Amino acid sequence: MEPAGELDAPMTLYQARNHSYLKVLAISDDWMTRRSINQMGLYAGDRLHVLRKAPFGGPLMVKSHNTQVAISRQLAEKIRVELVP
Amino acid sequence: MKIALVGQPNSGKSTLFNAVAGYRSLTSNFAGTTVEYTNSRARVGGDVIDLFDLPGFYSLNPANPAETCSREFLLTGDWDVLVNVLDASQLARSLELTLELRDLDAPLVVCLNMMDEATRKGMVIDLPALAEALGVPVVEAIAARGQGVVETFRAAIKVQGTRPAAPPRRILYPQEIEGALEGLARALSAGGERGTRSGLPREADADRELRGREFPRGPVAVTACVMVESPAPAAVGTKLPNLRGQALQLLESDPRRAGQLDPAIAYAVEAARTEIELRAGQPADAAISSARHAACLNLFERVARVTKPSADWREQVDRLLMHPVWGYGLLALIFLGFFRAVFDLGKLGEGHILAAFESLIADLGEVLGSASLGFAVVKGALLGTAGAFAIVLPYLVPFLIGLSILEDVGYLARVGYLMDAAMHRLGLHGTATIPVLLGYGCSVPAVMATRILTSRRDRFVAAFLAVLVPCSARMTVIMALAGFYLGAYWALGIYALNLLVVALAGNILARLWPEIAPGMLMEVPPYHRPSPRVVLLKTWWRLREFVVVAMPLLVAGSAVLGLIEFFGWQAAINAVLSPLTALLGLPSAVGLTLIFGVLRKELSLLMLMQAVGTTDVHSVMTSAQILIFTLFVTFYLPCLATLASMVRELGRKLTAAAAGALLLLAVVISLLARGVFHFLL
Repeated sequence: MEPAGELDAPMTLYQARNHSYLKVLAISDDWMTRRSINQMGLYAGDRLHVLRKAPFGGPLMVKSHNTQVAISRQLAEKIRVELVP
Repeated sequence: MKIALVGQPNSGKSTLFNAVAGYRSLTSNFAGTTVEYTNSRARVGGDVIDLFDLPGFYSLNPANPAETCSREFLLTGDWDVLVNVLDASQLARSLELTLELRDLDAPLVVCLNMMDEATRKGMVIDLPALAEALGVPVVEAIAARGQGVVETFRAAIKVQGTRPAAPPRRILYPQEIEGALEGLARALSAGGERGTRSGLPREADADRELRGREFPRGPVAVTACVMVESPAPAAVGTKLPNLRGQALQLLESDPRRAGQLDPAIAYAVEAARTEIELRAGQPADAAISSARHAACLNLFERVARVTKPSADWREQVDRLLMHPVWGYGLLALIFLGFFRAVFDLGKLGEGHILAAFESLIADLGEVLGSASLGFAVVKGALLGTAGAFAIVLPYLVPFLIGLSILEDVGYLARVGYLMDAAMHRLGLHGTATIPVLLGYGCSVPAVMATRILTSRRDRFVAAFLAVLVPCSARMTVIMALAGFYLGAYWALGIYALNLLVVALAGNILARLWPEIAPGMLMEVPPYHRPSPRVVLLKTWWRLREFVVVAMPLLVAGSAVLGLIEFFGWQAAINAVLSPLTALLGLPSAVGLTLIFGVLRKELSLLMLMQAVGTTDVHSVMTSAQILIFTLFVTFYLPCLATLASMVRELGRKLTAAAAGALLLLAVVISLLARGVFHFLL
């Protein structure tokens, strides 16, 4: 789960651009956080699409497995992602 | 026989339940509506079944207390068959729970609900293949239209007591997990033979500590089933999870809770965890849930095909309604239009109905003699009835219908997304918008809805703000007093002031008790056309509380007030409250009404009319007094029903603190208004 190399510098979901397609690399080590993110159908290895980002540091809306999920900034910062082509 | 409906939030369990049990359970278009289970007896064909509608939960190891309630119920084993309701359009995610339930080896029927939605999404699901893969009956349904409901329950009745043709199917986890499970199951069976029940009370205590407070139904620790049930092979008909299922539960549970286990078992759990962790390179619970997730996606690939959906208008609508700029403008417009419509409709009804009651009372006065005891009581009761029909219902009905529509369409969840950043200023996150918004309807369900929040702190703040927001009963006071006598924009102004106060209160609370919660995480349901049936039934469900509980109280309360007036007792009561009424610059006659207002908020309005002896309040109170009275009633104490639910959710101390703060707040705001009126106008 370590970053593959300099080109693939790890970023958090919150840093991802609007409308980007991503792959989840890892989710926080904290049981509660990981669990609650998993419950929305998001696991390490899953792909997701950033549909929109709310202004003023608001949440992101992502789509994964045909489900739309709103994720707050704090939680999005606990999800490591990489861009997929 | 007992059938329990289980499923993830917003999968349509309550719709299914209501289809056979009459309308007992509240459904809506966002996750977490049912926070307590509902039980009803229903007749399906010739069979009578006991039906349990459980709050939705995503996983057997839930992260919030509303979900714990369901799991507790499941682990008591007090049911015969589980009906797992799935949102077919969310099949991939929904199957996670189904697979978890398979690991319990329980008699199970899968109901694929919302098949129309799945079709619209371009999904084709191979039902026989799914049934074959899971080894359980699968029934398709569109519960909102009543399709597949009876079939589902028939399948559930049939599944009870029949030995499945094939051995129950479950996931085969990776070798390291299966190995650890086997070892742990052995340890559990040894522990079970020693009958270690002594650890239970201690666990319950620890659990309570961990969760912050006792949950109404009393917490059952994760391990209760492990301790209580002696080990038995996983035979058909065993209700409690088999040892393997128990072992899975333990490995997936929060590592911080390991301290609550019997030491021998805790040791075995830790050993199994470490074994998995070393070999899988990730925490045990993550390894297990990832394996299940992989199995789930794999199963999904096998049984479902997703064709490209036709250009979806919903995406276009979302692009507009969720736009970073227009989204907020539209949000304001939608709520402005909503309140304006409620006001106009209410005013239309109020004028006509009130006039009818006025003339009726005048006629009766002539018949009975206006100074008789009988007339005093009848007039009181009639004024109460008039209040209910002319003043409360004309505003309440359109408001509740509108709220139900917004909810059913799926807009309320979007509001949560839009408002998240703003709610952070209040020390809350977007999910808390839902209880706070529900507060505009009725404070009781709003307080109950705070259970969808994970931390006790969030629940308190959200409940406090939800109660601060004017509920529909207080709305009738605002509309019928400030709106009717001073003008619609005054009513709107009170709402704006209320928002400001909510913002300030949230801000102060956030400083006093800083946020520790992880933040919003919420499924955003697709828009769907509101079903008139669901909207009307939901409106009725919320209205029923008013009609059956409040209306008799209103009528009786008004009659009692008539008596009190007839005998001239009100002076004594008003004298006691006179320091308060004098401070606020109100006529001392309103003192009594404030007491009745705690019973139900609308009562204060009706009692006001009764106390000042006319339905034309403006003839005896100045505009300033009407405004101050309205403000005070808007903010002071929540009604008894709300206080009761707050005690349930937050405990006595916090409820008392909240009530005290609200009373103080009401006095301060009313005094400020009095000052402003005095010096500026």
